[in-house]
Amino acid sequence: MIRTPWQVTRSAWYAMFMREAVARTMADRMAWFWMLAEPIAMVLIMIAVRTIAMGKGKIVPGAEFVPWLVVGLFGFTLFRENMMRALGAVSANNSLFAYRQIKPVDTVLVRCYLEGMLKSFIFLVFIFGGILLEIDMLPADPLMALFAWFSLWMLGAGLGLTFSVLSSLIAEVERVVKITTTPLLLISGVIFPLNFIPQNLLPYVLVNPIVHGIEVLRSAFFPAYRLLPGVDLLYLWFWALAFITTGLLLHIRFEARVKVK
Amino acid sequence: MISIQNLYKRYHNHHGSDWVLKDINIDIPSNVSVGLVGPNGAGKSTLLKLIAGMDEPDKGKIIRDCRVSWPIGLRGGLKGSMTGRQNVKFVARLHFGQADETMDEIIRSVEEFAEIGSAFDEPVRTYSSGMRSRLGFGLSLAFNFDVYLSDEATSVGDRRFKRKAQQVFKERVGQSSLIIVSHSEGILKDLCQAGIWLDNGKAHWFDDIEDAISAYHASSNFAPK
Repeated sequence: MIRTPWQVTRSAWYAMFMREAVARTMADRMAWFWMLAEPIAMVLIMIAVRTIAMGKGKIVPGAEFVPWLVVGLFGFTLFRENMMRALGAVSANNSLFAYRQIKPVDTVLVRCYLEGMLKSFIFLVFIFGGILLEIDMLPADPLMALFAWFSLWMLGAGLGLTFSVLSSLIAEVERVVKITTTPLLLISGVIFPLNFIPQNLLPYVLVNPIVHGIEVLRSAFFPAYRLLPGVDLLYLWFWALAFITTGLLLHIRFEARVKVK
Repeated sequence: MISIQNLYKRYHNHHGSDWVLKDINIDIPSNVSVGLVGPNGAGKSTLLKLIAGMDEPDKGKIIRDCRVSWPIGLRGGLKGSMTGRQNVKFVARLHFGQADETMDEIIRSVEEFAEIGSAFDEPVRTYSSGMRSRLGFGLSLAFNFDVYLSDEATSVGDRRFKRKAQQVFKERVGQSSLIIVSHSEGILKDLCQAGIWLDNGKAHWFDDIEDAISAYHASSNFAPK
């Protein structure tokens, strides 16, 4: 029985997905707890910072602060976790390359898929939790929200694909990427609304594609939300598609070197 | 048949990079078990990894038109945080997708062969090295490969397990063959018909393993009298 290349790839993805899913959710008994507790803790800290630093004044035009923060935070972590998990995928699964049918790119794709699924599930849990607590968390435009969510996911996956190869070729890449993620949280307008920055700085803020995804995601949730002028999902997709293509090309070109590392 | 054509391999390091394997042309017929002999560092394991497809040659190519196993006794293929059973499931899924009947069969045969009892449901990181190689060995035998690659695998484990492993290989002669790297002449003579002697990056084929071993001995200074 000779399987087609597609069948071989499918079983490799299936096997790796099950393995990663078990490792992520069952490996330690607190895994599920932390998946929920981490974003809750983050939101609580941010609310505390806001009330102490800025008083209780309404600072986000057109949206309640808590849902606004939750949506932004989830959008951002979806991007960041996809990028960082994908970045570590190749080195974490190094031993698997003994099995010929597993290629380095498979480990990245499987991780991104799993990460997106987990984050989506947890986001849904939060939305339902919000509804139960009578916090308005339902998206006004669900299709747009899904698309913006998907866009951020693909952006993270694209960067992850590219950096997963680069970091196996150049060891310093991982460190540099890690350093940049914290400032990204600030300049992407996750915690402080970008509506308040001076007009002349706006073009620089908009260079960052994550801003476009998060802002569109928020506007899909809150109909009265004032979208930052100049925000365009198409711009995010230029980045996402460019990085996905670059990443796949790098995986083809450097497969042998990445495998041996 | 596994056909190795104009194969070159070297590793890059800070002290220059000499060819480990230089212009190797060998056809390994199916149903012939082959022993790889040569001094340490001659490139035996490298050649085995190349045949297994774990590594790519710098020049030349390897054509496999049969089912070739991953190197048996390979420890890297097991994940420490997962139980033996979960590891077996992973490899079964990798080879058969979602076919549940074959999966049960494979799990049962590995469990029986490895003989590690209740440890089968404990994380692999708690295993002793002998238990690990029992599991790895049982795992690769559960799949019907045409050619098994083995890097000193049959020499791990206690006496009973060693004998059992050799027994399995003897039974399989005819349906599947072996390519072994080993320094134990007993194992080589027991299991192999032909031999490849690696010397200074070149590979020499011998139709009889005894000839390969004596060529290897003749090249080293302490040949038995």
